[in-house]
Amino acid sequence: MGGFVLLLATNALVLSVPWLLREAIDGLEAGEPIGTTIRYSIAIVVVALLQAVVRTFSRLAILGNSRKICYDIRERFFRHLLSLGATFYDSHRVGDIMSRGVNDIRQIQGFFGPGVMNVANTTIIYTAAAVLLFRIDATLTLFALGIYPILFLTVNRLNRRIYSTSVAVQEQLATISSRVQENISGIQQVKTYAQEDREIEMFSAECNIYRERNLAMAATRGTMISLIGVVAGAGSLVVLFLGGRAVIDGRISLGDFIAFNAYLGLLVWPTIALGWILNTFQRGLGAADRLLEILRVEPDVVDGEDRLPTDGPLRGDLEIRGLTFRHASDDTSRPPSLRDIDLKIPKGSRIAIVGPVGSGKSTLVNILARVYPVPRDRVFVDGVDLNDIPLERWRRSVGYVPQEAFLFSRTIQENVIFGRPDAEAEEIGRAIRISNLEGDLAAFPEGIETPVGERGFTLSGGQRQRATLARAVLTDPDVLILDDSLSSLDADTERSVLEQLGHWRSERTTILITHRLTSLANMDRILVLDEGRIVEDGSHEQLVAADGLYRQLFDRQRLQQRLEQG
Amino acid sequence: MSAHGHHPGSADDRLGKVYDAEMFRRLWAYVRPHRTLVFVSFVIIFVLGAAQLVQPYLIRIAIDDHIGTRNSDGLGILALWFGLALLGEFLLRWLQIYVLERTGQNVVYDLRTDAFAHLQRLPSSFFDRNPVGRLMTRVTSDVEAIHEVFTSGLVMILADLVKVIGIVVILLAMDWRLALVTFAVIPPIIFVTLQFRGRMRSAYRTVRGAIARLNAFLQENVTGMRIVQMFGRENESAEAFAEINAEHREAQLKAVVYESSFTSLAELVAAVALAVLLWAGGYGILAGMVTFGTLVAFIEYSAKFFRPVQELSQRYTVMQAAMAAAERIFGLLDTEVSIKSSDGAIPVPEKLAGDIRFENVTFGYDDERPVLKDVSFHIRPGERIGVVGWTGSGKTTLIRLLVRLYDVQQGRILLDGVDIRKYRLRDLRRSIGIVLQDPFLFAGSVGGNISLGDPTIGPDRVKAAARAVQVDRFIETLPAGYDERIRERGSNLSVGEKQLLTFARAVAFDPGILVLDEATASVDPRTEQKIQLALATLLSDRTSILIAHRLATVRDADRILVLHQGELREQGTHEELLVLENGIYRTLYALQATA
Repeated sequence: MGGFVLLLATNALVLSVPWLLREAIDGLEAGEPIGTTIRYSIAIVVVALLQAVVRTFSRLAILGNSRKICYDIRERFFRHLLSLGATFYDSHRVGDIMSRGVNDIRQIQGFFGPGVMNVANTTIIYTAAAVLLFRIDATLTLFALGIYPILFLTVNRLNRRIYSTSVAVQEQLATISSRVQENISGIQQVKTYAQEDREIEMFSAECNIYRERNLAMAATRGTMISLIGVVAGAGSLVVLFLGGRAVIDGRISLGDFIAFNAYLGLLVWPTIALGWILNTFQRGLGAADRLLEILRVEPDVVDGEDRLPTDGPLRGDLEIRGLTFRHASDDTSRPPSLRDIDLKIPKGSRIAIVGPVGSGKSTLVNILARVYPVPRDRVFVDGVDLNDIPLERWRRSVGYVPQEAFLFSRTIQENVIFGRPDAEAEEIGRAIRISNLEGDLAAFPEGIETPVGERGFTLSGGQRQRATLARAVLTDPDVLILDDSLSSLDADTERSVLEQLGHWRSERTTILITHRLTSLANMDRILVLDEGRIVEDGSHEQLVAADGLYRQLFDRQRLQQRLEQG
Repeated sequence: MSAHGHHPGSADDRLGKVYDAEMFRRLWAYVRPHRTLVFVSFVIIFVLGAAQLVQPYLIRIAIDDHIGTRNSDGLGILALWFGLALLGEFLLRWLQIYVLERTGQNVVYDLRTDAFAHLQRLPSSFFDRNPVGRLMTRVTSDVEAIHEVFTSGLVMILADLVKVIGIVVILLAMDWRLALVTFAVIPPIIFVTLQFRGRMRSAYRTVRGAIARLNAFLQENVTGMRIVQMFGRENESAEAFAEINAEHREAQLKAVVYESSFTSLAELVAAVALAVLLWAGGYGILAGMVTFGTLVAFIEYSAKFFRPVQELSQRYTVMQAAMAAAERIFGLLDTEVSIKSSDGAIPVPEKLAGDIRFENVTFGYDDERPVLKDVSFHIRPGERIGVVGWTGSGKTTLIRLLVRLYDVQQGRILLDGVDIRKYRLRDLRRSIGIVLQDPFLFAGSVGGNISLGDPTIGPDRVKAAARAVQVDRFIETLPAGYDERIRERGSNLSVGEKQLLTFARAVAFDPGILVLDEATASVDPRTEQKIQLALATLLSDRTSILIAHRLATVRDADRILVLHQGELREQGTHEELLVLENGIYRTLYALQATA
C-alpha cells in the first residue's frame, strides 16, 4: 500500500514540473527580473530531487513486492512438488513442470510488478494531467487528447499481434531446434543414405519460414515502435497549430502553450503502457491457472494414524496379503500390474526377484517402499498396516537403489552422504568399499571430491550404479531394495558386490531385483514373477530342480556366459 | 519460452572481445551479398536523423516568428511541415527497423544453413565427441546472438552517433553559449550511466546466475524426486531451495534498487538540465540575446540527447555477446571434414558387380580399444552372406566402415577391386542399399521416403516398389496416400509399417549391394509374414549381407561369417558351422533353440 502512496506523490511531483516551467516562461515574457526565473529553476531542481527519491522508493516498494510474491509462490510450488508422489510424476513430464515453475511464475511477476505499477501510474497521471490540461484550455485539451483513445486501441491491437507473431516465431525456432536434433541424432542414417543435400534443403526451408515470420513480426513491431516515436510529436502538432493560434488570439499565454506541450509529453508512456497492461494481465491470469492446476493436486501418499506400538526401531518383518494392484494411470482394460500377491519376508531375508520385463517386479518393491499409495489391510510391517506407519519413519528404515542411477550434480562424497550428511568418514569408507567403488575413486581427478553430473566428471553406467548403491548402504537401512540397480556391472563385480552385501547385512533384509540369474546362488530365496503373479518361490537349487521358468532363464544365461568368456 | 536454456551458465555464456578484425572480416563475407540493404540502412540513418531533428527547430520558428510575435500568417504551413516531418519519421523508422531485420535475417539464414550444411559433412567421429545439445546451441542461440548485431548492435550505434553529433551541431549553431551550458550536463550523465550500468549489468548477471541455479536445482530435484523422497530429504531439499530462492530474490531486489535509482537519477539529471537551461536561457532572454523559441528548442533537443548516450553501453554488451557467438560458429565451420571424396575421385560403375573384399581391416572408435582386429574376407558377386555374433562383436561396425561413416585405421576395403576411398563418397553410399534394424524415416512424405528425392525414381517406380513389398495397400489407406506427412521420425506409423517402407525404399533403388541389419523389434505375425516375403524379394539377384540376430534368417545364406570380440572366428555354411566342436555358432544356435 505504501508503494501506491509513494506513487501518488511521485506523480504529483512529476506534474508540477511543467507548471513551474509555465510560470517561469510567463514571468520571462512579462519581463520580470531574473531572480524570478532563478527561483523557478531552483524549484524545479528541488522538485526533481524529491521526485527522484520518492520514485525510487515507490518502484522499490511495488517491484520489490512482486519479487517477494514470486518468492513465496516458488516456495509453495516446490514444497508442494516435494509432497507429491510417483503417481503424479508418472503422468507429468519434467519439462512441463519446469515450464510452469519457470515461465509461469515469471508471467506472474510481470503481473504484480510492472503490471500493477503501470495500472496505478496510468490512472493517477491521466486523471491529474487531464484536470491540469482542462484548466489551461478545454478546447485544446479535447483536440490534443482526441488521438489518445485511438492510440491506446492501436497499441493494444498491435501488442496482441506482436504476441501472436512472436509465438509463431518461437514455435518455428522450436521446429528448427528439433529438426537439428533429429538430424544430428540420426546423422549416421543421413550419411548412410546420402541424404545430406535433402536434409539441408528441408532445413533451409524451415529457416526460410523462420525468416519470413521474423520479418512479419518486425513489420508489426516496427509499426509499434515508430508509432511510439511520433506520438509525442503528434500532440505537439495539434498544440503547435491550435495552441499557437490560441496564444496569438490571447486565449492562453506562451507559458501555457509550453506547459501544455510538456503535459502531453507526460501522457505518452502511460498510454502505451495501458495497451500493454491488458496483455500482461491476461497472460498473468493464464499462468496462475496453470500453476493452480498443479497446486491443487492432492498428495496420495500421506501419513495415516500412527499405530506403531513403540518408538523403537522397527523389526522389519514384511508381509503382503492378497494384494492386487493397478497403477492409477493405467486404463482399466489392462490387467493389473500385480495379482493376488501373498508373501512373507521375515527380517534378515536375502530375497531375489526375477522375471520377464513387465512382470511386476518393480511395482512390487515400489509398493513395499510406499512409492505408490498402498491399499489398506494388504501390506504389513511387524504386523502393522504400512499405512499406519509414519512415512518418514518407514522411509528411514528402507534403503532404495533405483533402476535409473540418478546422481545429483554435486561431488561423489555429497551424493554418497545424501541420506546421512552426518556420517563418519569411517562409515563412508565402508559404504564405498562395499559398493566396490574404491578403485574407481582413486582414478578420478579429485577422488571422492570429484563433482559429477552435467557440469562435472562423467561416470560410466556401472560407476553411477555403484555410487547410488553406496548412498543407500550408508543409511544402514532395515530393508535394502535394489531395483535392477546392478545391471551395468559386469558379472564378476556384481558377484563381489553381492558377497560384500551378504556379509555386512546378515541381520537385515535385502531385496534384489535382477536379470542376471548366475549370481543368485547365495540368495536365501528367489521369487519368480510372471504377468503380475508369483509363479515360483524357493531357493536357487529348488528352482533349478523344478524345471520351470527359472530353469529356462538360467540355462540360457549360462550358455551366454560361456560364450562371452569365449 | 522453452524449457531448456536454463542450465547453469556454461562456457557458452562467456563474453568476448567486441572488436576482432578477423571475426569482422569473416562476418563481412556474409554481409557482402546484402550490402545494398546495408547501404540503404545507412542512408535511412541520415534522413531519419534529419526528420527527427528538424521538429524542435520548427517549433522554434513557430514560437519566434509567429506565436511570440502574435502573427498567425504561415503558422499553418509550418504545422504542415511539422506534420510531414512526423510522417517521414514514422515511415523511415519503420523502414529502418524492417531493413535492418531483413539484413539480419538474411545473414543469419545464410550462416545457419552453412553451419547446418557443414555439420552434414563432418565425420561420424565428430558427433561421437560433441553432445547434441552443444551442436544445437551453435545452430540456434549462437546464430540468434549474431542477429542482434544488426537489430541493436553496430548499425544502431552509428544511428545514435549521428543523432548525437547532429544535435551538438544544431545547438552550437543556434546559440553556442547556451549550447556549452547544455553540454555541461553530459559529463554527469555519462558518469551516472557508467556508474550504474556497470553495477546494473553485474546485478543482472547475478540475477541470471541465480535463475540458472534455481532452475537447475528445480530440474534436478524434480528429476530425482523419488530419491529425495525415498531418503526422506524433503525438508533439506526445501531448505536448500529456499536458500537459492532467497538468493534469487535478493539478487532481484538489488537489481530493482539499481534499476529504480538509475531511472530516477536519469530523470533527475534531465530535470537539472531543464533548470540550468531555464536559468541561463532566462538571462539570455532578458538580455535580448536568446529568443523563447531558442529556449524551447534547446529544452526539446536536450531531451532527445540523453537516451542515445545511455544506450551505448547496452549496445556494447550486445556486441560482446555476438562476437563470442561468432567465434564459436566459425570454430564449427573451421572443423575439418576428414571423410570426403578425395581429389580425382572416380564414380562407382553404373553396373556394380558387387565384389567386396576386406583386407586386414583394423578399426576402433578410440585408439585404445580396437573393435575390429585384422579382419579379412571376400564376398563374391551375387553371394548371400550372413554375419552373426554376440552384441559388441563388431557386426555393425563392419557396415559403418563399408559405407565410410568411419575410415579404416589399418588395411583396406575394396569394392569391385577398387579401394572405396577412391570412389566418390556420395556414389559409394548410394550404390549400397542399407536397411537398418531400427527403421529410419526422414521428415517428409511417405512417398518421399521411398524415393528419397531421387529424380530418377518417379511416382510409378515408388508405387511399384511399395507393391513389391506389399505395403501399397497400407499406404493407400492413409488419408493423403503417398503424400502423407511423416511425423517426427515416423511416430505415426508402427514399427512393422516403417520396416516395410524401408524395404520399399531398397527395392526402388535397386542397389548392386544390399545390406540388411535385421530387425529385433517384435511385430505382429501378419506383418512378420509380409516382412519375410519382402525379404525374399529384396535378396534375389544381388550381393547381400545380412546382419542377423535370429539365426533362422541366415540359415539359407551361401556363407556365414561369425564375428567374436572383433575377430572373424568362423565362416562357412550353416551345416559346416554347426558341426564345429565348441564353435561359437554352435553355441549361439543352442542358445536360440532354448529361447
